[in-house]
Amino acid sequence: MEQQPTQRISQRALTLWRIYGWIQVGIILLLTIGLTVTVFLWEWPWWIVLIGLGIALLEVLSMVWLVPTLRWKRWRYDVTETEIDLQYGLFIVTRTLVPMVRVQHVDTEQGPLLRKFRLSTISISTAATVHKIPALDEREAERLRQSISSLARVAEDDV
Amino acid sequence: MFEPKRLHPISAIINFVKTLKDAALPLIIVLVLNGNIFSGEVDWIPLLIWIGVLLLVLGSGIIRWLRFTYRMEEGELRIEYGLIFRKKRYIPIDRIQSLDFSEGIFHRPLNLVKVSVETAGSTGNEKAEAELTAIRREDASSLEEAIFQEKKRRYGRQDGEVSETEELQAEMEEPKRVKVYAMSMKEIVMMAVTSGGAGVVISGVAVFFSQFMDLLPVGTIYNEILDWIQIGVLVVAFTALVILLVAYGISIVMTILRYANFSVFIDGDDLIITRGWLEKKQMTIPLNRIQGVRMEENLIRQPLGYASVTLISAGGSVLKNDEHQLRLLPMIKEAKVGEILKKVLPDYDVVDDFHQPPKRSLLRYILRHSWFGFVAAIPISIFFFPYGLLSILAGFFLAVLGWLAYHDAGWNVLGDQLTLRSRGIIKQTYFMKKYRIQASYEKQTYFQRRTHLSSIEVMLTSGGGRALASCYYLEKKDTEEMMEWYRVKRSAEKPSEE
Repeated sequence: MEQQPTQRISQRALTLWRIYGWIQVGIILLLTIGLTVTVFLWEWPWWIVLIGLGIALLEVLSMVWLVPTLRWKRWRYDVTETEIDLQYGLFIVTRTLVPMVRVQHVDTEQGPLLRKFRLSTISISTAATVHKIPALDEREAERLRQSISSLARVAEDDV
Repeated sequence: MFEPKRLHPISAIINFVKTLKDAALPLIIVLVLNGNIFSGEVDWIPLLIWIGVLLLVLGSGIIRWLRFTYRMEEGELRIEYGLIFRKKRYIPIDRIQSLDFSEGIFHRPLNLVKVSVETAGSTGNEKAEAELTAIRREDASSLEEAIFQEKKRRYGRQDGEVSETEELQAEMEEPKRVKVYAMSMKEIVMMAVTSGGAGVVISGVAVFFSQFMDLLPVGTIYNEILDWIQIGVLVVAFTALVILLVAYGISIVMTILRYANFSVFIDGDDLIITRGWLEKKQMTIPLNRIQGVRMEENLIRQPLGYASVTLISAGGSVLKNDEHQLRLLPMIKEAKVGEILKKVLPDYDVVDDFHQPPKRSLLRYILRHSWFGFVAAIPISIFFFPYGLLSILAGFFLAVLGWLAYHDAGWNVLGDQLTLRSRGIIKQTYFMKKYRIQASYEKQTYFQRRTHLSSIEVMLTSGGGRALASCYYLEKKDTEEMMEWYRVKRSAEKPSEE
C-alpha cells in the first residue's frame, strides 16, 4: 500500500490542461476588456480593471502552470487482473480501489480537443460508482477498455 | 392461468379515489373560492363543471379497470392496459424477483390485496415494474404459485436432471416461513414518542415557557394595555403549542398504526417484513440482494439506549418510497441488536470493539463540525447585535457534537466484514461484507499527510443509488490496513480459482 500505483497518464495531458487554463484566462480577459469599456463610459473607479487583470494573472499562475503540473504528477493508476487502483487529487489525495468483480461496464470518450491530442478519457462503472481516468493516450485507453471488459467478464459477479 | 383476468371491480373505485386525491387541492380551492355554499348562494355553473369533472374521473377509473387485464402465458406475465393508448407489458417470469402484497382500507373488508411485481431490473427511483391494484387473495397466491412453478420448471430444464429437480421440489414445498422478529407494542409506542416530531414539540414547549417567563415580571411593571399585548402573545404561543401537540399526537397515532404488528420472517431465500394495522404492508427482500446493514442512533433515542437497523439492498422498487420501508428493526434496545441480527442475518457480526481515531484528530473533528456555525455567527452577531451573539452558542453546540463525533468514530475488521462507525448528527454504524463493497477510497489532505492521518470511505450500492460509509481522520496505517484488507484476499483468491 505504501507504494503508489505505477502507471501515469499521457504527458500530452499536461499540454491539454494548460490549453484549458488558457481558455479560462481568455474568458477572464474578455470580461476585463468589457469592464474597461464600461469604466470609461460611466467613469467607474479604474481599480476595477486592476482586479480583473489580477484575477487573470492568478489564473495564469494557477490554472495554466501550477494546477496542471501538480495534477499530472499526482495522477497514477494500475489495472491488474483483480483490481483497479487509482490515485489523484490536488489538495485531497484520494486513493481508490475497485475490484475487477465489481466492474459493470467501461466506456471511453473523446471530445474535439482530446481527439486533436489523440487522448481519450476512460470511465469505469460499478453498480454504485463511476471512476474516470482522464487524458490517456487513445491507444492505451482502447487497450485498457478491452482488457478491463474482458477481465470483468471473467470475474464472477454476485450483486 | 392462461385466460386474461381482470382486477376486482373495487379497483375502479381505488383509481377514482387516487386521482381525486391528486387533484384534491385544486378542487378544494375552487370550491372554497366559489364559496357561499354554506350561505346558500351557490354559483351553479362552476359547480356543475366540477360535478362533470368528477363523473369523468370516475368514468375513466371504470374504463381503466375494464381495459386492464393480466395473464400468464408462455413464461411471461402479460399485462394489457391503457385508457386511450393500449399498452402491453410482458414481463418474463425469470426476471420477477418477488411479489409484494399490501392491503389498503378498501382491500381489507373484501379480502383483496394489491400486488406489486418487482423485477431485478427495476432499480431505485422507478415505480414497480407492474402493479395489480386489487385482486382476490386466492388469485394472488395462485399467481405466486404459478410464477414459482414456472421458475422451477425452467431451472429443472436447465439442470436436465429429473431427480435433482424433484429433490429441489420436495425441498421447496416445505412450509418454511419462520418468524424471526416481532416488535413489541412498547417499542412501537417508544418509537412514535421519540420520532422526529418530538424535537419540534420540545422546542415548541421551550418557546412557550420562555414567553411565559417573560410575561411574569413585565406584567407587574407595565400598564394594562401592555398587559393585553403580552396576553395576546401568550395566547398566540399557547395556540401554537396546542397545534404542535395535536400534530405530535397525530404523528404518534399514525406511526403506531403504520408499525403495528411489525414482524420479520425468513422464507427460504427471502426476508419478509409485514407491518401495519389499517393498511397492511408486506415486503419481500431476497437475501442475496442485501448489500449491508446500517444501525442508527439519533440524539433522542441514543440516551434511552435505542437504535434502529436498516437494510441496504440493491434493486427492487420497495426501496423507492421511503427509507422506512427497509427498516429491519425500527426501534430496538441497542444491546439486543446483535442477538436479533444473529437470527435474521447470521453472516453479520455486531462487533463492539472499535479502533478509534488518535487524540490528535479531536481538534479536526471539532472544527469539521463547528466551523460553519462559528463563521455564520459573525454576520448574525453583527446584524442583530445584542441577541445575535446568542448564535455563537450554536457554534459551541456544534463543537460538542464534533467532540461526540470524535468519540463515536471507529472501525473494525473481522474476517470478511468491515464495520465503520461515524456521526454527523445521527450516529451511524455500517456493517459491510468485503464482497459487497463496490469501491473503497482513502483520502488524505496536504495537512493530514504531515500528521499521518487519513480518512476512509466505502461505497455500497443500494436501491436508491448508493450508500457511503465513512470514517474520518484515522491513523494513516489504519486506513492502509483497511485498504489492504480490501485488496489482499482478492489477489490471494485468484490463484485458487485457476
